[in-house]
Amino acid sequence: MKREKKMLAVLALTVLMLTLAAPLSAAQLKSPDTVKTALRLLVQVSNDFKRQITNKNFARVPHEYMEYTEAADALRTGIKDEPADFKAKVESRLKAAVAAYQKISDMSAKATDPGPLMAEHAKAVTAMNAVFDLFPADMRPDPNLPPPGGRRGGRG
Amino acid sequence: MRDSVLSRRALLLGSLAFPLTFSACRRSRTSEQQVVDLVIESDGDFLAFRPDELSCRTGTMIHVTFHHTGKFLSALHNWVLVLPNQMEAVDKDAEKTDGEISPDDPRVIAWVPMCGKGERVTTQFVAPAPGDYPFFCSTPGHAVDMNGIMHVTE
Repeated sequence: MKREKKMLAVLALTVLMLTLAAPLSAAQLKSPDTVKTALRLLVQVSNDFKRQITNKNFARVPHEYMEYTEAADALRTGIKDEPADFKAKVESRLKAAVAAYQKISDMSAKATDPGPLMAEHAKAVTAMNAVFDLFPADMRPDPNLPPPGGRRGGRG
Repeated sequence: MRDSVLSRRALLLGSLAFPLTFSACRRSRTSEQQVVDLVIESDGDFLAFRPDELSCRTGTMIHVTFHHTGKFLSALHNWVLVLPNQMEAVDKDAEKTDGEISPDDPRVIAWVPMCGKGERVTTQFVAPAPGDYPFFCSTPGHAVDMNGIMHVTE
């Protein structure tokens, strides 16, 4: 009997831990549309970083950083009515991602070679993906997808 | 003497009437010309135009309104219509001026100035010869995603 109780307690604890660890579902989010838009904007601006670095257009990189912080603010707006523990988790990872992109921006001031900036960008993308992991899979943007509409690469 | 005064008056009236007649003709031609309003907007804060295809007839007076419908990002957008196969070159040159378009650029058919979120800007031009003309946003880095085609028909 005592053993059964112990097993039940372990099972309950496991279920509780799995529940806490699982990301919120889209249906549970109070503002899914704003969150989805914000996540896509983070990817869009991250891709713009990459484009400016590849084109050696280093002077534009600080502007991209400013836009990244605006996209991060959009995400904060999207989750403002979510439970405090979830917001804290997102904020912690979001801060790390923003800091990673700020580092690229700071480095761009004296940059002449895209290489080191691209290496930092790869780290920043990892930090950004850690933010996405907190959201349901169907809300996470695909970094390789083109934006809606438009004719990606359509050169006339 | 009287004849001379009359002929001077006739000459004066004639010289006044000529430009009036001419300007009336111009007004009349303008009022007869078909004016088409085209509205195009950014896809919110995303790098895309809505719609990304426009159509009009050659010779039509086109009045374009571009609406930046973004809410979150401070990115500026514009709308630039260029001759076929010139988008890449014009975009590359605009990079040097932070996206600003030179008003004397012969490759550019029409454009609206850069605008921020929520703003609307307009321009007017006569639709060129039939063909497919690319349009894009000249903010550095945007054109690769933010572009479209204007189909000009007979």
